[in-house]
Amino acid sequence: MARAERVTVVAAGAVTPIGPDLETFWSSLVTGVSGISQIERVPVDDLRVQRGGEVKKLGRIKDWRGVPDGRATRLLVAAADDLCAQCGFRPLPLDPARVGVVVGTALGGVEEAEKALAGGRARRLREALYDAPGDRLARWLGARGPVITVSTACASGATALAVGADLLRSAEADAVVAGGYDALCRFVLRGFDALRSLTRDEVRPFDRRRSGLLLGEAGALALLMRERDVSGPRLGTLLGYGSASDGFHIAAPEPEGRGLERAIAAALADAGVGAADIDLVSAHGTATVLNDRIETAALKRALGARAYQVPVNSIKAGLGHTMGAAAALEAFMCLLAAQRGLIPPTLNLEDPAAECDLDYVPGHARAGRPRLMLSTSMGFGGCNGALVLEAA
Amino acid sequence: MTVAPALRALGFLAPATPPPDVAGSIRALPRPHRPGDRFRRTTRECLLGLAAIDAMLEDGNAGREAIAGEGTALLYVTAAAYGASNREFIERRGGVMHFAYTAPAVVPAEVAIEFGITGAYGILLGGAPATLRAIEHAARLLEAGRCARALVLVVEVFEECAELYARHRAFGRGPLVETAACLWLEPGEGELQFESTRGAGRVDRTAPREERFAGGPLADLRAWRDRARAEALELSGRWRGERARLRWNMTRSQPRGSAA
Repeated sequence: MARAERVTVVAAGAVTPIGPDLETFWSSLVTGVSGISQIERVPVDDLRVQRGGEVKKLGRIKDWRGVPDGRATRLLVAAADDLCAQCGFRPLPLDPARVGVVVGTALGGVEEAEKALAGGRARRLREALYDAPGDRLARWLGARGPVITVSTACASGATALAVGADLLRSAEADAVVAGGYDALCRFVLRGFDALRSLTRDEVRPFDRRRSGLLLGEAGALALLMRERDVSGPRLGTLLGYGSASDGFHIAAPEPEGRGLERAIAAALADAGVGAADIDLVSAHGTATVLNDRIETAALKRALGARAYQVPVNSIKAGLGHTMGAAAALEAFMCLLAAQRGLIPPTLNLEDPAAECDLDYVPGHARAGRPRLMLSTSMGFGGCNGALVLEAA
Repeated sequence: MTVAPALRALGFLAPATPPPDVAGSIRALPRPHRPGDRFRRTTRECLLGLAAIDAMLEDGNAGREAIAGEGTALLYVTAAAYGASNREFIERRGGVMHFAYTAPAVVPAEVAIEFGITGAYGILLGGAPATLRAIEHAARLLEAGRCARALVLVVEVFEECAELYARHRAFGRGPLVETAACLWLEPGEGELQFESTRGAGRVDRTAPREERFAGGPLADLRAWRDRARAEALELSGRWRGERARLRWNMTRSQPRGSAA
């Protein structure tokens, strides 16, 4: 079978707890800035854990015309604004009918449902449907090509990038704005609090003392185009994607990580590369007891000896788990690491757990210029996803 | 253009009587009964998803082992089915574990767990165009050899949020019909053509109700099959300003040894 058409990541934009744009996000990653703080935007007094990766200010954007005041939509548009500032994509330089939008989310506009049920205006109901923020983003951009919302829980950002690439390969679009988002709201904070998944300590991926995650909010979008259509600067290439269901449990990962292993194998096959070609792994790395042990085991089986030879980092300690945005941000981290020659550290990792025996880049950023990167994601419902990315 | 998949089977649950043309009315599907402690807390939309798979297996005269394993891809589509569990959690009627059931991903997850499906997956949120896109995506997975069979599962429920839909102008003009349906697709031949256009204006509220939510195209597919496939199959749908159309050359697309 002929190799699939190569898809270029032309540029990226983001709004995160550690920076309101991609450049600040990157500099905060490599200098070890933490965006974890007391949550201020929504009431948390009744919750066991009241901290998270909250974006404190969304004020840089000049043009909010037509954008409703929902937090999720505004995070998404703020990320798009950063993207457009970098690559001049608004007003659209292409036929709007050939520009697609694909976004991934775990929560959509659910905060609008909370408001509607609390007696708010009925029109909030339409904004509460999970595909509303993506539709609003397309209208803000002026894009009139395919608009798709995917929701594979915490793997949503990876799925969105892959679906965006598929739109380009099938010639349904000539450019796609793809990525993920999610907002911190009462709904998700109360849910994870009830599940006892949140830590009162620091988030410590792969550490012996790890005791859970903290949530974060973010928007993360990339401009994807077919490689043959790109002549200027670029971040890198989206080489492959794989997904696999655990078929095991609604909320818990399969104990051996077989689903993630299959997703990695599928992504490597899709990319046409082998485990020995991978130079950097961006782990899901949530810092829950189960995730880090299971993910480490899955990486060892999927990559063999190479798992011990490559850096494996997690950026969730400083960001919180940004849910639908997480996989997209982690993909951007991989591409920026390759471009800038620095691998961001895993924050708060001081005493690695015995079962977590890979090189997790503790402490400080490390010099290194990976060529091929693997990014892994695991989500509620046994959604596993993996991306393979290539340096520009 | 994609190689058309073959339709091995269709499971389709719908209210038995045609919906009255009453603004704001909802034709609900009953909560399926499923024995076993595992399903004690399971939401209605999940049980409907499982029942749609049961119906599909019956239609295809196949046992559950026929769809188990890595060779089966599962694509799930809904515009609003998560609304029921979201509301229950927001209004604090659910217990601690109920939060997990608020994720849209939980419906295909329950299906994957119950039937042992561990292949590729996808979850699209949106109305009828998303369903057509999922069928086309399934065709591409089959064409590329990424799966041996693909299931396209659609669940839409409205009853738990009935008065919210009634309050909203966009949803309150006609009856909302709940749907739980699943297509079983296998490699076939012929052509599948998917087209989508998106206007700059607002959603076309005069569009037939069945075309708007995700279940519409599969209702049309069932009706087409009930008419003994008298004409070419063309499915269409509108949602949020997108108009999508799928032309499916089914006559050249029979699976080997199929009961369909």
